[in-house]
Amino acid sequence: MDSLVVGKSAKMRAVFEFLRVIGNSDSTVLVTGESGTGKEVTATLIHQNSRRRHRPFVAVSCALFSETLIESELFGHERGAFTGAIKDRPGRFEMAEGGTIFLDDIDDVPLSMQVKLLRVLQNRTIERLGGTRTVPVNVRVIVGTKRDLKQLVTEGKFREDLYYRLNVLPVTLPPLRERPEDIPVLMEHFLTRYFRRRNEDVPAISEAVTQAFMRYTWPGNVRELENACERIAQTCSCGTVRVGCMSASILFRAGANPTPFDPAQVAPSVNQWPVPPMAPTETSMPTAVERTPTTLASPNPPTPIGVPVAISLDDRLREVEANLIKWALRSTGGNKSKAAALLKIKRSTLGDRINRCGLGRVDEGESAVLSSESGG
Amino acid sequence: MITKERIEAVLDRVRPFLHADGGDVVLVAIDGNSAEVRLTGVCAGCPSAHMTLHVGIETALRDEIPEFDTLRVA
Repeated sequence: MDSLVVGKSAKMRAVFEFLRVIGNSDSTVLVTGESGTGKEVTATLIHQNSRRRHRPFVAVSCALFSETLIESELFGHERGAFTGAIKDRPGRFEMAEGGTIFLDDIDDVPLSMQVKLLRVLQNRTIERLGGTRTVPVNVRVIVGTKRDLKQLVTEGKFREDLYYRLNVLPVTLPPLRERPEDIPVLMEHFLTRYFRRRNEDVPAISEAVTQAFMRYTWPGNVRELENACERIAQTCSCGTVRVGCMSASILFRAGANPTPFDPAQVAPSVNQWPVPPMAPTETSMPTAVERTPTTLASPNPPTPIGVPVAISLDDRLREVEANLIKWALRSTGGNKSKAAALLKIKRSTLGDRINRCGLGRVDEGESAVLSSESGG
Repeated sequence: MITKERIEAVLDRVRPFLHADGGDVVLVAIDGNSAEVRLTGVCAGCPSAHMTLHVGIETALRDEIPEFDTLRVA
């Protein structure tokens, strides 16, 4: 079961338990969950754990069809039922005989069709469009909805009798933002899947990437996270998954999360952001650089873009100075005289400033920095 | 008018994301309402990172400086 649906959060474990309990039942299941939370995966899981697993599993999105087409799609039609109906065609219910039918987006089914569905659920029989024969069907019905059906009933957009007929075994899938502790597990799951597809092992994942994933609110839920992992697997070629491998929208919107949760509550090992950049296991990481001590020491997450923050002028200037000196040294292959000329300062002044910025002790590591920077 | 200070202020918001993975961004030049930056650190040579950071930094600049035109990443 865990190979299909991944999660260790209490909410997901409760869902798993419930799915185990209802596995052998034939009652109708109502799966409610936002887009991307895994409604169809859940339906597949229910089917595979039922005694119907050797019979067909048919999934239909009710949002795909117009009001006139959906009846023909679900119940089939007889030859000549309408223009273009040149031969008999079984509907999805008949195709799922003995197995399970998953009707997704049930909230999009028009009211006129809801009556017909209700009859099918009550009588367990269908009539093909244009036909007179009543066909008994032995099908377990699972329906999926993005919206709260109870609310739609209150608004008069969904039939109350059908709602009660469907809401026998309700399963509610929590959005990803309500179970952040599942994010690292899902990341590992999907990254493994997509790197394996490329016949590659999963590379090391930088802590900063995990943190960014955990801070992001994932409006597209698991589907969005899966896509993000696929993107990483397709683009990362440097041996370590770093922030640059992610899409900009996830990386930068991660810091703008209006209600950041405290990762310390869910994962004791990841209780800081930004993560101290020292990665002792990575020899290719530049040890020098472009980072101020204040940034390193800060336990706070990046401030959301758009909110003014205090800036230490001295630290900023020192950082700019250090960056420019490093740039000059790189550009001149470490030749300090040429670097001084590039910066329009005296050679002796450059020496002083190198010491002041604390760059002196990393001069030896400069070549390593240079070579590692092309590695991305 | 786009000034170095305004651009640097925006870059400062973006920097923690880059710092977290050993990278940084340096403002190289300002040309009218456009700017040129250089990425440094481990991700500087990676095409994927280049796109992520280019898009992210340009979006941040446009969000905060309405008249901002184009970002060039050297």
